[in-house]
Amino acid sequence: MIPRKLSLAAAVVTATALSLTACSGGDAPSADLTSVSIMAPFLEAQPPAADGAVQKKLEELTGKQVKINWAPNASYEDKTNITLAGSDIPQVMVIQGKTPGFVKNAQAGAFWDLTDKLDKYPNLKTTFPDIQKNASVNGKVYGLFRGRAPMRTAVMFRQDWLDKLGLQPPKTVEDLYKVAKAFTEQDPDGDGQNDTYGITIPKWGALGTNSPYDVIEEWYGAGNRWTERDGKLIPSFETDEFLEADRFIKKMVDEKLINPDFATFDSTKWNEPFFNGKGGIIVDVDSRVSVLINLFKQADPSNFQNKVGFVGNLEGPDGKLHAHPTDGYSGFLAIPKASVKSDAELDKVLSFLNTMNDKDVAVLLNNGIEGVNFTVENGKAATIKPETPEGKAVTTDIKSYAQLGMNVAGNEFYPVKQPSDYEQQVFDKRTDVMAQDLKSAVYNPAAPYVSATYVAKGAQLDNIVADARIKYLAGQIDEQGLKDAIKLWDTSGGDKVKDEINKLWQENK
Amino acid sequence: MAAPVIDTLAGERTRKAAPAPRKGGRFSVHFAHYKWLYLLLLPGVVYFAVFRYAPMYGVSIAFKDYVPFLGVNGSPWVGFRNFEDFFANPDFLRLLGNTLILAFLNLGVAFPLTIVLALLLNEVRLSILKRTVQTLVYIPHFLSWTIVASLSFLLFALDIGPLFQFLNNAMGTHIDFLSDPAWFRPLIVLQDIWKNTGWGTIIFLAALSTVDQDQYEAAIIDGAGRFRRVWHITLPAIRSTIIVMLILAIGQMLNTGFEQIYLMTNALNREVADVFDTYVYFVGITQGAYSYSTAVGLFKSLVGIVLIFGTNWLAKRFNQSGLF
Repeated sequence: MIPRKLSLAAAVVTATALSLTACSGGDAPSADLTSVSIMAPFLEAQPPAADGAVQKKLEELTGKQVKINWAPNASYEDKTNITLAGSDIPQVMVIQGKTPGFVKNAQAGAFWDLTDKLDKYPNLKTTFPDIQKNASVNGKVYGLFRGRAPMRTAVMFRQDWLDKLGLQPPKTVEDLYKVAKAFTEQDPDGDGQNDTYGITIPKWGALGTNSPYDVIEEWYGAGNRWTERDGKLIPSFETDEFLEADRFIKKMVDEKLINPDFATFDSTKWNEPFFNGKGGIIVDVDSRVSVLINLFKQADPSNFQNKVGFVGNLEGPDGKLHAHPTDGYSGFLAIPKASVKSDAELDKVLSFLNTMNDKDVAVLLNNGIEGVNFTVENGKAATIKPETPEGKAVTTDIKSYAQLGMNVAGNEFYPVKQPSDYEQQVFDKRTDVMAQDLKSAVYNPAAPYVSATYVAKGAQLDNIVADARIKYLAGQIDEQGLKDAIKLWDTSGGDKVKDEINKLWQENK
Repeated sequence: MAAPVIDTLAGERTRKAAPAPRKGGRFSVHFAHYKWLYLLLLPGVVYFAVFRYAPMYGVSIAFKDYVPFLGVNGSPWVGFRNFEDFFANPDFLRLLGNTLILAFLNLGVAFPLTIVLALLLNEVRLSILKRTVQTLVYIPHFLSWTIVASLSFLLFALDIGPLFQFLNNAMGTHIDFLSDPAWFRPLIVLQDIWKNTGWGTIIFLAALSTVDQDQYEAAIIDGAGRFRRVWHITLPAIRSTIIVMLILAIGQMLNTGFEQIYLMTNALNREVADVFDTYVYFVGITQGAYSYSTAVGLFKSLVGIVLIFGTNWLAKRFNQSGLF
C-alpha cells in the first residue's frame, strides 16, 4: 500500500521536474521573426491581460505576435538579472537605467552595441543625440532610450497666500527666501496664529536625484552632478557654489522657513502640508502642479482655481539662470545577444522596434484606441466621458504599455486634453515655462560616463556627502564637518572616480 | 533535556554513535528494521536538501566576481578578494560595532524581559485575567515592522507626536527622537520589546506549566514567600529552557532585523543605524555588488555559527544541558 503511494509521489515529482525543464527550454527565435518577445515592467496592480484590446491592436499594427513578459516594477532589476542568467531570454528587454548591474552585464557582452546601427531606421534615428549620448555607457549605445521631458523643475506655491500678502512670484533664489520668510512670519492663512512655514522638503537625501537640494545647488551654479572647472570635471559638491547654496538652505532651516523634520518627513505625504495650509512652497517636478490642483478640485470643485501658483527655475545670486534638467531619458530598450544571435536577426528586431515608433503605434501605446477611450479634439486627446468598460480597460492597460514607448524622435502621440479650461491654461503655461527654461538647462557633462570605481562603490561614496549635507543643514555638524566629508569622499575612492571620469571625458570629447 | 522525552530516538542515536563491529551488512539490517522511521524522516531530508542546502551553492559567488549575465558558473573566481575588501573597508568596524551593540542590547534587555513577563503572567491567579493579558501581549507580534515604524513616526513626530510632547515635557528637552543618533538604539530596542516580548513568553509559559505543583505547596508550608518560590523553585525548574532559548537567541543575535532598521534609518542617524543586514541590502541590491554583499552575509553567518557553538560549549562546561 505505502510503496504504491510512494511510487505515485515519485511519479508526481518526476512529472513536475520534467514540466519545469520544458518551461525553461524557451522558444528559439524563428528565422522570419513572426513573433517578438519583450520583457517590460508594469506599474499597475496587475499586468495587462494577454488578450486585451491594446494587445490585439498592437499585434495588428506591427504584424507580429508580440509576447510581452510583464514583471512587477518593484523587483524588476532582480528579475532582469535572473532572466539574463537563465535560458529563456526575451529578444527585447526594457532596462530601467544605468544601474551597476546593467553596466556589468553590458560590459560582459550581454547586449548588442547599437551605436552605429540605428541611423538607417527612420524612426530610431534620434533627434536628440545628446540624450542618446547621456543614455550610453561611455559612448556605447546599448539600447534605445525612452525619451522623457528633460525640463521638469518647478517651484510651486500657494497662490492665495501670495495674493493675500501682496507678493510677486519668485524669480530669483533671493525672492524664494523672501516669499518663504513671509509665508512663515506674516500669517498668510490669516488665522492669527504662527502655524505656517515656507518650504516643505521631504526625506530625500541621496545625491543627484533631482531633490530640492540638488535643484537649489544647481541654481547657485554648482552644476548638475558634475561640472567643468579649469578644464577638468569635478563633482558639483566640490564647488564653492555648492557650499554657498547649502549655506542658503541652512539659513532657511535655522530661521524655520523649512519644515524642521525635513530629514525624516515621509515623501508620500509631501502634498499634505501644502493642501492643509501648513507649508506654502514645494520645489519639485512640474507635473506636481496638476496633482496639487486636483487635490483642491476634489475638496471644492467650484473654487479650486488660483490656489496653486508656479514658476520654473530660479535665477542664482549671480543673476544667471542655471536651469536644472533631468538626463532626458528613463532607461532604454536593450537587445540581448543570447536571444538575437546574428546581424540579420538584429536587423529584424530593429525593424520591429522601428514599427513600434510609428505614429499610430505611439498613439496606441500612450493615448489608447481612438473612439474607444479617447477622441481627437484640436490635436489633443480627450478622454471619452462617461467611460465605457472597454474604454476604462484600455486606459488602464496603456499605463503599462506606455513603458514600451521610446519616442527617440520626440513625442508622436497626442497631448492629453485637460478636463477644464483653467487646467488647460495651467497645462499650456507649464509647457511654455518648461520650454523656456530648457534653453538655460545645465546638463550633467559626465552623464554618459561610467567609472569602474563608481560602479563598485559609488552609492557608498555618495552617501558620505549626502548624509553630511543633511547633518550640516540640521546643525549636527558645521561647515568644516561638511568639507571634511567631501574630503573623505575623495580619499575613500572619489579621487579614483574623478580620474576615471576625466579620462573617459577626454577620450570621448 | 530532550533525551528522556523521545527515548527511542535517543537510543537510536547511541546505537549509531557507537557501532559494535559484530556482523557484516549491518546497515541493510538496521535499515530494514527502521524503514518506517526513515520514511518519516524523508520529507524533512528532502526539504532541507532542496530548499536549504542546494541554494547554498550560490554562496560560491562570495569568492567570485559575479556578473548575472555570465551566471554563477561562468563568473571568474577571485578568491578572498571580496572578504579582503570588506575587512579593509572603514565601514567594517562601524558595522560590526553597530551590529554587536544592538545585538547585545536586545539580548541584555529584551531577552530577560521575556522571562520576567512570563513569570509575572505565571503568578496571575485569575485565569480569565491571565488569558486576556496573554492574548493582548501576543497581538503586536502579528503587526508588520512597517506598521510598527509608522506608529513610531506618528507617536514621535517632531513637535506634534503625543510621545514626543510627553517625553520632552517630562524631561524639559526638545529632542527629535526619530533623527537623534543617541536615541536610535533605545527606540529600536523599545520597538523590539513592544513587538516581540509577549510572543516570546509562549515557550517559557509552556515550561512553567510543567513545574511540579507539590513543590510549591511544600514551600508554602515551609513559609516561603512568593519571591522565594520564584527564585528557588520556578527559575531552577525552567533553567534548561532558558539556556536553550538563550543559545537560540544568540544564534539569531546578528540578525538585527533588516526591515525594522531600514525603516527607522535616516541621514541623521545612519552612523549608528547601519548594520550588516542593511549594508548587504544597500551594497548588494541597490548597487549590484552581489559578490561583495554575499561575502558580507557569509561572514555574518560564520560569526553566528561561532557564537552558537561557543554558547553551547559554555553551557555544557557549566554542567547545563546544551542544545546539541
